Amino acid sequence: MADSSRRADTVTLTIDGHEVNVPKGTSLLHAAETLGIEVPHYCYHPGLSAPAQCRICLVEVEGAPKLQPSCVTMAQDGQVVHTESPSAKRMRQGVLEFYLVNHPLDCPICDMSGECKLQDYVFDEGREQGRAREPKRVFGRDDFGGDVLYYGDRCVMCTRCVRFMDEVAHDARLTVVERGDRAVIDTFFESGLDDASFAGNVVDICPVGALVSKDFLHKARAWDLDHTPSICPNCSQGCNIDLHARDNLVQRLKPRENQEVNGHWMCDYGRANYEWINRAGRIESPGVGRSGKRRAADWQTALGALLDRLRESEGAGVRIVGSPLASNEALGTLHRLGRAVGTVTESVFRCRRTEDEDPLPGFPLLVRRRDLAPNVDGAGILGFERAGSDDATGGLGAAASHDGILVVLGDQLGDQPEDFGADASLYVYLGTFDSPAARNADFVLPVTTFAEEDGTFVNAQGRVQRFEQGLQAPGSARPAWLVLGALLAALEGGNPPGSAADAFAALAAEYAAFAGLSHDAIGTAGAVPEPAHA
Amino acid sequence: MAISVKVMRRPEAGRTSYMRATLKGMSLTFKHLLRVKKVTLEYPEDQPDLHPRWRGTHRMEVHADGRPKCVACGLCPTVCPANCIRLVGGEDDQGNRYPIVYEIDEFRCIFCGMCQEVCPVEAIHVGQHFENAEYSRNRFVYDLDRLMEQDHPTTLLWDPSDPRSE
Ligand code: SF4
Ligand code: SF4
Ligand code: SF4
Ligand code: SF4
Repeated sequence: MADSSRRADTVTLTIDGHEVNVPKGTSLLHAAETLGIEVPHYCYHPGLSAPAQCRICLVEVEGAPKLQPSCVTMAQDGQVVHTESPSAKRMRQGVLEFYLVNHPLDCPICDMSGECKLQDYVFDEGREQGRAREPKRVFGRDDFGGDVLYYGDRCVMCTRCVRFMDEVAHDARLTVVERGDRAVIDTFFESGLDDASFAGNVVDICPVGALVSKDFLHKARAWDLDHTPSICPNCSQGCNIDLHARDNLVQRLKPRENQEVNGHWMCDYGRANYEWINRAGRIESPGVGRSGKRRAADWQTALGALLDRLRESEGAGVRIVGSPLASNEALGTLHRLGRAVGTVTESVFRCRRTEDEDPLPGFPLLVRRRDLAPNVDGAGILGFERAGSDDATGGLGAAASHDGILVVLGDQLGDQPEDFGADASLYVYLGTFDSPAARNADFVLPVTTFAEEDGTFVNAQGRVQRFEQGLQAPGSARPAWLVLGALLAALEGGNPPGSAADAFAALAAEYAAFAGLSHDAIGTAGAVPEPAHA
Repeated sequence: MAISVKVMRRPEAGRTSYMRATLKGMSLTFKHLLRVKKVTLEYPEDQPDLHPRWRGTHRMEVHADGRPKCVACGLCPTVCPANCIRLVGGEDDQGNRYPIVYEIDEFRCIFCGMCQEVCPVEAIHVGQHFENAEYSRNRFVYDLDRLMEQDHPTTLLWDPSDPRSE
């Protein structure tokens, strides 16, 4: 410690009796964070500027004449800081009491309850009883447009929302109007936040229940939600998110911090598009035989029969229709299986595309991409080619009338004629929903969505990112890598993959783009593969 | 090892009579016949006095305009150790948060009264009520309307003059 502090670029200070060494220019608040000490704060947010106006992060610095705001006071060598000293605590208690003078304490009907910073801080350190006896001022609520509702009574005037729209979205649509206890946040024009494509983030950063999502309004309690680290499936940016689920249904998506991909943010398009994950009416059990003669079977029977057919047709031409919604594990194992049974003459995927990209100006890494699916780049690496038009239709003419082996994974074939695959010698459909175009399939195998399995996607930056299982699969649906891996192992010998990590390891051994990677190495933050050595 | 046998002799005839025991029993019977203390309650003509802290089937309090007092805060389903309360919150036409679905499965309920204790708006109560016969099991899942119709007295969870039982 002692010698490293002499280096020019770091400083050593003492916080609450613990010595800590941090880079120069670190705020006291951050330095305390590295020690696991949380200094309460509202206006400070790591993704925004720090106006030091909420006055709750004040800490005692020995030698300073008065308490210092820890979010803008930079750590200096030899500083001795107390976050829990009597004066710091007394001050926080006083500030909290002021916050509650006009606060409605609506917690029973407030959507933030359970994850609210005001609730937490007051519960930890507030006074047991308030002393204000005057009537509270009442604003009611304001529809800000978009997905955002504003409850003025609950606002703590931290201006995070104002600064987000200004500094990050570069679209200053919110402001503080009036002064003193009449101050509220408001929009400039009637249109409010309508058509702002990143405004949903103000709901996430609001430390209290002042800004809430209309979509999530009264829907679930924060403590009832299971959080699963995942990847946004709605465009090829692959924002890191948490799936918040209750009763096996996704209730909302929240961004998960990743400074290499999405910072603290996500776009409104991605945030709003989760209902398809919850759609009912899934295929729940394997079906054997073409439509009319199809009967439900258990996995063992279905895979046994499928294996016999695959062995019979060894060496046939194989056409594969994949999906950019499928994981690398699924697509990769599918391609390997295709090569194991015959010659893959075509492997394609179809993807919906928009006209334009939609970047977040204040955080240029985050762009809502043109491809509205998470694994377009992964499919490319694994040998799949883009087919069809920008609304994910057409382009399957050759596959539709193919007379060899035809395998469809995840594409719902909504636009395809009913005789799709009628001429195929063997047609296998692995999907989540039944489709008229699957009527000629010899085998219909139910697979899981990304929310129901572990796996990886490759985003538009070439970053391999992991997602985890957050929901239970319906019926006997299984991850595609498990089904395909079992078939592959039966054909080629060897052990079937027991986990998505195993399936990925097999890909890493085969594809140079994944060489050296593993689920462990990818972790929760994702990893960019090293460029292959020539 | 040889088994040793002990021969028991029957008592003489005079000592095996049951007469004495019978008389003893009868005397107890007659004693109770003449005793005035009555313990049988002529239910249902006579109703028992339930203790003020008796915890029976639930009741939802209503506002004067007939709306349930519940604000769908989700605390009672959270605290309920039997996990027997189902709640789906929503917003009514006046912008108030209210329970779209509120159901209590009275069969799973263990009548601990924690739902009443936790409720921030004194909406849900356990009641001083015990007559719960029904013709089918599913009638024991009380929905919101049923809970609001109940008119039995609600339970006092503590003596208001001595809330801490001191
Ligand atoms: S903002 Fe926080 S403290 Fe205020 S009513 Fe909502 S949950 Fe309670
Ligand atoms: S609405 Fe929320 S984020 Fe905006 S100033 Fe108020 S408390 Fe802060
Ligand atoms: S009395 Fe107890 S068990 Fe019954 S509903 Fe209330 S909390 Fe649940
Ligand atoms: S605790 Fe009270 S207000 Fe909250 S959900 Fe239960 S009955 Fe409704």
